[in-house]
Amino acid sequence: MMTFIRPRLRKPLLGGIAFLGIAAAWAIGSPAWGLAIVIAVVAVGQTVAWYTWAGADTDESALLASRADERQKQVGLRARALAGTVALAAAYTGLVITLAVKMADAWPFAALLAVAGFAYLLGLSSYGSGEPGPEGEVTAGHQTRSPASS
Amino acid sequence: MSQAELAAALGVSRQTIISIENGRYLPSLPLAFVIARFFDLTVDKMFDPDEEEAGT
Repeated sequence: MMTFIRPRLRKPLLGGIAFLGIAAAWAIGSPAWGLAIVIAVVAVGQTVAWYTWAGADTDESALLASRADERQKQVGLRARALAGTVALAAAYTGLVITLAVKMADAWPFAALLAVAGFAYLLGLSSYGSGEPGPEGEVTAGHQTRSPASS
Repeated sequence: MSQAELAAALGVSRQTIISIENGRYLPSLPLAFVIARFFDLTVDKMFDPDEEEAGT
């Protein structure tokens, strides 16, 4: 479906939809449902702001507009890795604190850590090393042993 | 030739050209080949560290 949407609009739109989800949840769950309208307006504003920002000539804009080159993708990947690490540290801190203060509230943090751990293992198996070949043999254009290991 | 023109010719961003020039980013092998082809050089000529040291 995303291919029908202009690349510059994809991520701003996704961000807006995510924000609208929060607005919908707020409208359903909170007695102060009027605030959901404010959140929805902010969501639309954020989408417009991100779309405008995506037109600039910076690394962040290129990532936002889905037109990043190889270096910019690497920058985005590192930023995601940092965000993931910080989120894990926050979840761990939350788990430790809630275990000490109110054990019944600890499960969301434990679930976050479990999901993150599973995702990490999934990533290792998905993006990990290629097919193992016979050790020490070097075929034309395909090296099976790292020069660093010799 | 400006950095923007070179970036457009190579299909990368202007910031990436600046990063390669400053030595802050090493291009991937496919991009290195594109750059070498563009300047009509070989990859080893372009990215030979010994030659760079000799030139400075």
